[in-house]
Amino acid sequence: MRWLRLAAVVVPTAAAAQQAPAHRHDMPGMAADSMAMPIPMPAGMKMLPGLVGLLPGGGAFLPGAGLDPGGLPLAQPSRLTRVKDGDTLDLTAMLARREINGHTFAMYAFNGQVPGPLIRVPQHATIVVRFRNHIDLPSTVHWHGLRLDNRFDGAAGVTQAPVAPGDSFVYRVQFPDAGIYWYHPHVREDIEQAMGLFGNLLVDAPDRDYYSPANDEQVLTLSDLLVNADTLIPFGREDPDFALGGRVGNLLLVNGERGYALTVHRGAVVRFFLTNVSSSRTFNVSFGGAPIKVVASDASRFEREELVPSVVLAPAERYAVEVRFERPGHYALVNAVQAVNHYRGEFEAAVDTLGLVTVDTAAAAPDYARAFANRRTNAAVAAGIAPYRAAFDRPPDRQFTLTVQVTGLPLATVQFMSIDTAYYAPVEWVDGMPDMNWLSTGRQVRWIIRDDATGKENMAIDWRVRRGSVVKLRIVNAARSFHPMQHPIHLHGQRMLVVARDGVPTRNLVWKDTVIIPVGATVDLLIDASNPGDWMLHCHIAEHLGAGMATVLHVE
Amino acid sequence: MSPARVAAAALALALAGRPLAAQSDSYAVPLAPTPAAGAARGQARLHYAASPFGIAVTVDGRASYDLAITLTGLPAPASLGRYGVIVAWAVSPDLSLWQPLGAVSDGTTTLGPVALNKFLVVISAETTAEVTTHAGPVLLRGYSPSIWLQSFITHPLFRGVN
Repeated sequence: MRWLRLAAVVVPTAAAAQQAPAHRHDMPGMAADSMAMPIPMPAGMKMLPGLVGLLPGGGAFLPGAGLDPGGLPLAQPSRLTRVKDGDTLDLTAMLARREINGHTFAMYAFNGQVPGPLIRVPQHATIVVRFRNHIDLPSTVHWHGLRLDNRFDGAAGVTQAPVAPGDSFVYRVQFPDAGIYWYHPHVREDIEQAMGLFGNLLVDAPDRDYYSPANDEQVLTLSDLLVNADTLIPFGREDPDFALGGRVGNLLLVNGERGYALTVHRGAVVRFFLTNVSSSRTFNVSFGGAPIKVVASDASRFEREELVPSVVLAPAERYAVEVRFERPGHYALVNAVQAVNHYRGEFEAAVDTLGLVTVDTAAAAPDYARAFANRRTNAAVAAGIAPYRAAFDRPPDRQFTLTVQVTGLPLATVQFMSIDTAYYAPVEWVDGMPDMNWLSTGRQVRWIIRDDATGKENMAIDWRVRRGSVVKLRIVNAARSFHPMQHPIHLHGQRMLVVARDGVPTRNLVWKDTVIIPVGATVDLLIDASNPGDWMLHCHIAEHLGAGMATVLHVE
Repeated sequence: MSPARVAAAALALALAGRPLAAQSDSYAVPLAPTPAAGAARGQARLHYAASPFGIAVTVDGRASYDLAITLTGLPAPASLGRYGVIVAWAVSPDLSLWQPLGAVSDGTTTLGPVALNKFLVVISAETTAEVTTHAGPVLLRGYSPSIWLQSFITHPLFRGVN
């Protein structure tokens, strides 16, 4: 989180700011004082003196309050579950024990697995999923990226009521598009998703040549977890905490675990399906210098495959990349970003090793070197996009502005934000000021999608389009606000093209359902409004969603 | 003191003497003319370099930008000496690195990419567009928005200005 100069902001009174968050928690299952733990700060930084002793308001929550984690079933790695058209699958959200970094935590799992079962399904199939909620919060399952029947979208409060603990809900899930998708709750994602409720859906195209040949396929979720030594940092019970910047963990996980490991033969080509399931962190991952070819994203392949130095994934985004490991040795899977040190006024390299790919000396067979060297042009993708090109340059049908209002933040937070460093990084890769961030809750922070034409905000926006229409939506991420930040904006149930960024046309298109919008940036989206129903559009930073940053597209 | 440290100190002084306003545009680089080109005006605008991810970064996470450089009122290079072209550079704040971007002229020219965390944009007259070492007179210069990421000691509050 940055420190910012006050701009268009609801300025809290000093009294209100002083009163606001100084509550002690009565967290179930833990001593009240346990919430008073200092949260982990970046190396060399201390909690601001004016914030010491304060706690986020609204109470604290951790899964399985009062339960001995040792009595919970140990979460297992994700297992492949192949299903075909017409099949029925049981999916249960449950408490589970997780062993991470040598510590034991009570967390969540789908069917006892973290990630949840990898559901592999043929394109155009329809399956039935019988969901049971056996956790201690209401929940749903959202089928992220799928253009399915609106009734089964899992958007609590929009398409269904939350499923109470002990209750169940039957979803009918369709898979009209090939690629990598995922599922997660749409109730308190800041807790439920962060605690392990996520899983992937891998949809196979009937065309066996849909992707280039590869020696191996790996489905990886990227996430993080915020801990202080052996203790999970509790969540806001009534509202999300970390509402300004989102919760950014200090343990980076691949498939819910530390230390991902893979062994392949020399020259192997591995296709990685990557999904960022974190609450707030944007990743920039690479494979120890091995060449990376990006082939697909959220809802389709790219028009053209490209070699890239690394893979950038905002929360909820997916990319399919192919990596060739030419020589024997070790290739570190790393997340490398530039952190902002607000005290020193400098960028600092921050590198986390997520795992290791070991390449042995045996030659991979078959040898796909030639296929890897070929960068495909996907004519079918371009042809599918062609009918939409006429709309690329037309004026937007709607314009939304992204901004934030705050009230009642701690005085020290307001003061220090008012003496910011006068620079807003387009993307926050790490949480530079976790103390101020932690103490901001959904009660004090209101993230906003504003309709520029009407001035209406979030769920008050009346946005209706006819089925089959092509909607051009311009979104401006306002730089002048109390805390400008990038937003990964997700649209449910439809697909969209990012046709331009800051007026620069996109040269290599791909169908998306989530788009990252940096601070001060403008994106032009072309929405293929083909799927009737009420579809949420929201920021996929879980705490921003929890702090109001959502609206609904009604496709009639 | 090394030339680089002198330059860095000069930059710090320039920043300290300038009103520190909230920087509301993370992508604009206003270019100020030197006396060698008093009538020149310009601005560079940062755009993420083309990337399938929408935002372009290097493998170590530095933002990678193309610069759309818009200039007016440039002097004829030959009027400044034995120079044949105007060249744009991306320069590290300590002046130790000069990355030639290419020739510019009146109008808008898009060059890049530049992947420095903080940098200056410098426009100079040079003998050819292929120069790799800066030698001619500087005509305009400006700072990347990220230059404004400074330690708090530069803030007006700590300099007695409010």
